[in-house]
Formats: sequence, structure tokens, C-alpha cells
Amino acid sequence: MLPKELLTDFLAVAFYLLVGVIFAVVPLIISPLIVRRSAGMRREETYESGMETIGSAWIQFTVAYYIYALIFLAFDVDVLYLFPVALAYGKYAIRDFLEVVIFVGILSLAIVYAWCKGVFEWERKR
Amino acid sequence: MGNLVSSEWLRLVIGIIVVLAFSQLNALFLVWLERKVAGHIQLRLGPKEVGPFGLLQTIADGIKLVGKELITPRTADRTLFVIAPVLVFMPVLVGFLVLPFSPNLILRDMNVGVLLIFAFSAFTVLAILAGGWAANNKYALLGAIRSVAQNVAYEIPLLLAVLSVVLMVHSLNFADIVRAQGRIWFIFLQPVAGLIYLICATAETNRAPFDIPEAESELVAGFHTEYSGMRFGLFFLAEYTNMFIVSAVATSLFFGGWQGPFGFGLGIPGVVWFLLKTYILIFVIMWVRWTFPRLRFDQLMNFSWKFMIPLALANLLITAAVLKFVQ
Repeated sequence: MLPKELLTDFLAVAFYLLVGVIFAVVPLIISPLIVRRSAGMRREETYESGMETIGSAWIQFTVAYYIYALIFLAFDVDVLYLFPVALAYGKYAIRDFLEVVIFVGILSLAIVYAWCKGVFEWERKR
Repeated sequence: MGNLVSSEWLRLVIGIIVVLAFSQLNALFLVWLERKVAGHIQLRLGPKEVGPFGLLQTIADGIKLVGKELITPRTADRTLFVIAPVLVFMPVLVGFLVLPFSPNLILRDMNVGVLLIFAFSAFTVLAILAGGWAANNKYALLGAIRSVAQNVAYEIPLLLAVLSVVLMVHSLNFADIVRAQGRIWFIFLQPVAGLIYLICATAETNRAPFDIPEAESELVAGFHTEYSGMRFGLFFLAEYTNMFIVSAVATSLFFGGWQGPFGFGLGIPGVVWFLLKTYILIFVIMWVRWTFPRLRFDQLMNFSWKFMIPLALANLLITAAVLKFVQ
């Protein structure tokens, strides 16, 4: 069982999320009841600068985004590990400082690697 | 014990009513302020017809939005398209749960407050991706993927900047962090982290000069191109409430929260100090929007990866070293 304080924390967050959902859904329910529906064949067509829509938007897009996503994933998880470190920092004489330096040093290698691999250079399309 | 728990819940229920009212009023006020600031910077007057100084203009706009039809494009992914506006608004109220408005005005004083706010702000990215992809519109999709790429890139320096502060206080509790700034605000001890935080917060809220996800001149309206009526209204509301939250977090992490400068409270209540500083920061963000041009997308991404992240890492290491060897 969770301690009571912690349980209240979780329930409070869940409660606020729930109220957020209700508050967002209510106008979406009320609005269709009071509006006048427009007619016409074209009203549900996807917007494309007033021209007839060509094809679907669900196509492949540039791989550059995928690589950014990969480095982000590595980084974000690592940064998450630094939070407990920040809380416990200062409890040891010198050991924690050295460990932070080593950790951040290895972390920085990811950027150096990506930089050398040319992730940050966008080639101009011909 | 039962009495204690129920009084806590009474506080939370009253809190959410106040928060709901506040988030509405805040959005109404900020939209008006944004248009006024934009107007005066561009030597116009901004809205002035509806109500005194045009203050009721946003209410008129809101009523118009409720009266507009909710159109779902025929080719869209219906489920995701409908869920996305709800998903974007859902997490914004949670932020108010831990914001320290004054020593006695914290709805729930959690020991992981800082982490909670940043965890829930990540929801916005999900909602934008869901909405932009589901619309099956080229502009919306482009806006959505740009937004996600930008948000994830700027989240890392943002977290690293916050980490430098956490490293100094050894706490993720907002009240503790504010109390640690009794004498001197962290913006003076951590100017680099503070600047990084402000830049990243601007990027996280998709505001100019980082507003290419919804760059009007190339992408129509970006990820919410296909949204009409109150669905668009929810995106808008969430955006302005998020703007308040990032500024409020900046106030409590770097600008002393409810405390006056250098320990001088001047007898002014903490809430007034807190809101004053938050709205000044929001004004600065608006000012920046109408002053700087938009960046090209690869410049924007690489500014974060090549400059902001290394700088934030270096700042973190220097902070760690100073804490260890100077004191």
C-alpha cells in the first residue's frame, strides 16, 4: 500500500486530469447543438490552398527527423538519470563530482559523434 | 485523520474551480494583451471597439468560436482528430497543482513538483502530433513534424538548465527552490541557465522566433489548419495557458517566486509579486515575438543541438564544480 500522502498526490493529479478532460469535452458537445450546419459537397474536403486536394498526406518524410528522434531518445533518458544525481549531490567528498563529469563526458560524446557523422548538415536538394 | 484528508480534498476542489476560472480569464487577457502589444509595436492601436480599450474583444471572439461548426475532413483519421484537442487541454490544469503562488497558496506541495510540470508539458507534443497527423493535410503534417522535432530538441537544454538549479537546492519541490532564493535570485547566480530556460521555453510554446510549426506564410496555420470552432479554441486556450505556466515556472526557478528583489518584500503580498513577475515575463515573450524574424528550420534545430545543449552541459558541469570546490 502507498502511504496516504503519496496516494493523495496521485489522486489529485488524476482528478485534475479528469476535470481537464471534462472541461475540454463540454464545449465540444454544446457547440454542435447550437450551430447551423453548412451544406455543400466540398465542406469536408481537406484544405489545400483552394485547389483540389492531390493525394494523401500520409507519405514518407525526410529521414533527418528520424535521426533527430534517435539522438533525442538517448539524451532524454540520460538527462532523466541526472535528476536523482542532482538531489543526492554533495553527500560525498569528491566521488559524486567525478561521476557527474564522467557521465556528462560520455553524454557529450553522443553530440560529437552525431556532429562528425554530419547529422547537423542538411544537404540542399537539387 | 479522515478529517485531515477531507479538508485536503476540499482545498483541491476549491482549487480546481479557481484554476478553471483563472485559466479562462488568463487566456482572455493574454489574447487581448498579445494583440495590443502587437498593435503598439507595429504603430497600430490593436482592438479598441468592443468594451473599454477593446478588453471584451476576446469574449466576442470566444462566442463566435463556440458558434462555429466542427468540421472533420472526410479523409481524416476521425478518432485521433477528435481526441487531439482534448488531449492538448487535459494536462494544462495539472501544472497549476504545484505552482507556488505564495507560501500558503500551493494547491499540493509535492516533493516532485518540478518533474511533474515538465512531464506533463510533454503531453502537448503528443497532442500536436496526433492532431497534425490525423488531419491528413499536408500543411498540418509538416507543421506537426516540425513541432515535434523542435520540441524534443529544445526540451533537453531546458531540462539541463533546470537541473543546474536543482543541483544547487537539492530539491525538486517548488517551495524549497523559492525559499532558497530569499537573498539573491537564481537569475544572478545562474544567468546562463536562466537565459537558456527562457529561450527554450519560447521554443517549447511554439512562439516566434521559434514558430515555424505554424508559420503562417508557408504552412497556412500549421498543425491546426483543419481545426475549426471550439476544437481550434481548445488548442488556442492550451497554448496561452501553457505560456502562463512556463513563465510561472521561470518566475519560481529564477526570479524568486513570491519574494521581492533581494529580500525586500515591501509588504506586498506574495501572490502579487508572483503574478507581477510572471506577467512581465509573458510581456517579454510577446515583445520578442514582434521583434525577431522567424528562423529557417535547419538553423533552428541545429542552434539547439550545436549550441544550446553543449552550453547547457558546460553550465551544469561548472555549477557542479563550483558547488564542490568554492564552498
